[in-house]
Amino acid sequence: MDSLPFVDVMASSTSHVGKSDMKSFEYTFQAEITNVYPLTATEKLYQIQLIDPAERQRFTFKPGQFVMLELPGIGEAPFSISSSPIRHGDLELCIRGVGNMTNFLAKVPRGTKVGISGPFGTSFPVGKMYAQDIMLIAGGLGLVPLRAPIAAVLENRSRYGNIDIVYGARNPAELLFTYQYDMWRQFDIDLSIIVDQGDDAWDGPVGLITSILAQRIAAARDMKKNTYAIVCGPPVMFKFVCDMLMKAELPMQKIFVSLERRMHCGRGKCCRCNIGSTYTCLEGPVFDYWTVMNLKEAI
Amino acid sequence: MKTISKVLKKDHLKSLLRKLAKDRQLVAPVRNSYGDTLFTEIEALDGVEIDLDNQAQSSLKSFLFPQQQVLFEYSTDQGSAPVYKAIDSDGPTVFFGLRSCDLAAILYMDVIFLKEVKDPYYRQKRENNILISIGCNEPFSNCFCRQTKSGPFMEYGFDLQLTDLGDRFFVETGRAQGEEIIQQWAHFFSPASKEDEKAQYQMRLEAQGNFKRQVLVDLAIRKLKDDLVPEEVWSKLSSRCQDCGGCAYICPTCTCFTINDRKISTDSGERIRTWDACTFAGFTTMAGGHNPVDMKQNRMKRRFMHKLYYDVKSHNRTSCVGCGRCVDMCFGGVDIIKFINMVGQGEI
Repeated sequence: MDSLPFVDVMASSTSHVGKSDMKSFEYTFQAEITNVYPLTATEKLYQIQLIDPAERQRFTFKPGQFVMLELPGIGEAPFSISSSPIRHGDLELCIRGVGNMTNFLAKVPRGTKVGISGPFGTSFPVGKMYAQDIMLIAGGLGLVPLRAPIAAVLENRSRYGNIDIVYGARNPAELLFTYQYDMWRQFDIDLSIIVDQGDDAWDGPVGLITSILAQRIAAARDMKKNTYAIVCGPPVMFKFVCDMLMKAELPMQKIFVSLERRMHCGRGKCCRCNIGSTYTCLEGPVFDYWTVMNLKEAI
Repeated sequence: MKTISKVLKKDHLKSLLRKLAKDRQLVAPVRNSYGDTLFTEIEALDGVEIDLDNQAQSSLKSFLFPQQQVLFEYSTDQGSAPVYKAIDSDGPTVFFGLRSCDLAAILYMDVIFLKEVKDPYYRQKRENNILISIGCNEPFSNCFCRQTKSGPFMEYGFDLQLTDLGDRFFVETGRAQGEEIIQQWAHFFSPASKEDEKAQYQMRLEAQGNFKRQVLVDLAIRKLKDDLVPEEVWSKLSSRCQDCGGCAYICPTCTCFTINDRKISTDSGERIRTWDACTFAGFTTMAGGHNPVDMKQNRMKRRFMHKLYYDVKSHNRTSCVGCGRCVDMCFGGVDIIKFINMVGQGEI
């Protein structure tokens, strides 16, 4: 028989599995829902705080990462963090009620004890983007994972060049974080919002996100040299938006996308979120577009 | 480690197992009253028929990675942390009579569960195991382990490997535990003579030629790698898939799982993990209703690609060990052998 590569995993790890191992594997921070703000008819913003102050301070994450939120008796699901990294264990998660767990969550009162484990996954490299322009493009719920890098960028606003947020939603009623738009604009951010269908009160542009993106690209400085892009949205949006960015000569490795996949374990075991042999929970959810292009069926 | 070779008379086998089972659990392929051979935990060796003539219909997967496993219990009293179940290792267990494919499957599961992030639930079942495998002189009807490089005899991974030489077993050691067994119960074993070694060598050579089916695994892997598989292959096969998930459940290396919470009472519950199958539509459907692997055809593609290409890419081996169990299991005839040969021969 020729060689089957053999990794004697059992022999290489000699230490006994103690209870502590188990705890670190399943380690869940005790947390509490401190506030709930309805954003739209279906989405709510949950402020969740780790209960132990020391743990809260130690909890660090990078923009773009996600946590597992656990509701005892209901289940556990991954959510991207949409608060600023400097707030450590004072998390904000924006969640739409669509399934068992999220619909249950929509009904729980303030003060409910929940579990938080993580953070998991890769992040947007905002540290690499100093002195560059950043274009953040979000469609629908795609603004949720983008709110963390937006916050991180705002905190260091002077280090970055022009910042564009291009945000598309189905209709004005589904726009998220509307109360923050003025604040973002005060920080010298170009915020362009477009909806598929306007209503009586809406006086902004109506149409697809690509139409407004084209304007922003036309107004941008030399895209090839000066710009990074961060994209998140529904699956159909990625292709059109990224194609457009590439036509504007933005290099693939300067486009970052956050992909969504179903996840159960968050540790690369349950074999659900993999795209080919790449696990979204370990090597994602943030990928550069170069990697995405090389992953078949990623978008 | 230098291999020690011994000979064990077949008459001595039960006595040896009895000694081994004294302070350990014993799991072996047992023929039950329905005529099925299944890996079974043996309470008492008397009156049990250990069946080494047929392939066990089940694999050892469920002993190391149970179909349903409680991970921990919790109570929802205000502020109380989940109560983690004690994770003392399962008692020592002897797995006897596993075939090379079963052994290769365990080695694969070790990689999945214990490399990088170590899974404590798997590990507590995996440590303290003694693996006594038996090589296949006469591979079974749907076996193709030679092509997946996981048989008919293994070179490593076992504690003891037996070769059937008619009235006696040729015994090789693979790990220190196997050597200890030979030393502790030395009176069951006799030294292997030159003839025994020759006979075993002969047996291994002959076994290579005894495969009944030709399965072009290497060729298929190469074609999958270069993406030379036409869509019709997937669509043709998937039209016969009945979405039962049987292939994934019977597969000794399919380790996909799902995690659920189950309530025990109003203020307590447990978290359980259960086998899942990637051929189910709900496996990858996300909360918004979007499914990145949306058609049956794509789910089947995902499964076969995982077995034959993704694992070659990430772990340098196929996760198909060539046991042929899924071939017997699938009543739609969507078997992996058919697929491999369709791809390998390029016929649609």
